[in-house]
Amino acid sequence: MRRIDCHMHVRGADVNWGWDHNDRIIEAADALGIDQLAVSIPVMRGMPEYATIRRCNDDVIAAMKQYPDRLLGYCYIVPGHSESQDEISRCFDAGMIGIKLYNQYKICDPVVYPVLERAIEEAAPVLEHAGRPTTRDFHDQQPNISDASHFVEAATRYPECMLIEAHIGGGGDWEWSIKQLRKAPSVYLDTSGSIIDDGMVEMCVRELGADRILFATDMTMEGGVGKILGAELTQAQQEKIFWRNFQSMLDRRKGASS
Amino acid sequence: MTAPLLDINTWVGAWPFRQLRDGSVSGLLKRMDKHGIERAVVGSLTGVLYRNVQPANDELAKQTRRHTDRLVPFALMNPLDPSWDDDLKRCQDLGFKGLRLVPQYHEYKLTDPAALDLIDEGADLGWCVQVPQRIEDRRTRHPWDVARDIAPAEFVEAIKSRPKVGWMLLNALGLNGSRFPAKARYVVDISRMTSVLQRNMQSFLDDAGPDRLAFGTGMNWSMPEPTLLKLELLDRPKKVKDGIAWRNAAKLLKLP
Repeated sequence: MRRIDCHMHVRGADVNWGWDHNDRIIEAADALGIDQLAVSIPVMRGMPEYATIRRCNDDVIAAMKQYPDRLLGYCYIVPGHSESQDEISRCFDAGMIGIKLYNQYKICDPVVYPVLERAIEEAAPVLEHAGRPTTRDFHDQQPNISDASHFVEAATRYPECMLIEAHIGGGGDWEWSIKQLRKAPSVYLDTSGSIIDDGMVEMCVRELGADRILFATDMTMEGGVGKILGAELTQAQQEKIFWRNFQSMLDRRKGASS
Repeated sequence: MTAPLLDINTWVGAWPFRQLRDGSVSGLLKRMDKHGIERAVVGSLTGVLYRNVQPANDELAKQTRRHTDRLVPFALMNPLDPSWDDDLKRCQDLGFKGLRLVPQYHEYKLTDPAALDLIDEGADLGWCVQVPQRIEDRRTRHPWDVARDIAPAEFVEAIKSRPKVGWMLLNALGLNGSRFPAKARYVVDISRMTSVLQRNMQSFLDDAGPDRLAFGTGMNWSMPEPTLLKLELLDRPKKVKDGIAWRNAAKLLKLP
């Protein structure tokens, strides 16, 4: 069965995620039977300058060139920069497949609207870092993190946008997040993150349906694969989650760009 | 193919902030069978938040007594409980084989004199001591669950002060194997480590030695499949993998 990891990162732009070379990603993917990985390099703290953002994307493009059959790229941007639209064009021209947003703005902030409108135009998925903090510390570290209610708000305004809420296993109260996303049938949810709580994936499927769930690791490689293999799913559900759902999103983009 | 599996990190019971699926002993045994796990060290999750932990131990003893060929029950103890010494004797009579301590929930440090007294008494019985670095990930905790993660330095200091005790550190990450005393008796479970990409299992083996890791899944809280995968994918000789699967922990537990 194919496996496409819809949320992963590569080393670059001085961001060290804990491995010495991006070859390690491919080795890990080979060991775990992951065919392709959609990657980005976001800036995780503060409001980066455009030059920094461009450098992040340059290094993703370089990694895509190094592993053209394995790595798909997301264009990381911070909405509000005057160069954002041009940067999206530059990245898509270089073969990127989607847009990556981090915690600089909530997904429903009006400053993000032009980005979502562009994503609709390009039929490109938008993967946004997300979480429902349960503690004050967590919230204070990322005051603009999007939670599922912000996705509901954005999806209500832009139901045709392919929004992906990131890492249900890495973003705080996953039960709250899943229940909240019932209200936004157009939003996808990725399974990545280091939380491997028993029953989490099953609840995603039960509450949202297997068509909306996307396999991902976000660097938790064994956990990412193991939580799908171990969940009580039918073969058809597993297949949708491991690759079919994300492939459908990529096919929409291909159709739009051809 | 590795040796039979000994899981040093399993729980039965309930947690007040999230419904866990099938926290029964029979549910645990079913999962062990499914994954080829021959034996498991088990503790009561329900008791972690009890003020008086002994009823949870009594309950666990009742549930596990017909399964002592598969399950090794560890007693939850609180050194700040005024009669922990009586509870310890009772747990010995009930067939418990070790201590599972949760200093982050009982508000003490492993190196506090009261904790060391309890650890010493347990060691006199030939018991190992298990300590989870955390139970729930701090990102997902209920706002009322304010227990700290145990700092790596606290583990190091505790093991340095009692190097002859058999220590088992559960759900631990961020430990530097070179900081632990070379001659101490301890293992760390692999439930939060990785054998691909970050490869912190390999780093720990390099720093601490080949017999310092042990198989532990965190069932029924966590799914066991990720831990099975990381052992399977570990690029170390069979002898090392067999040690993680069974031998390293079995030696501390005096299992065959």
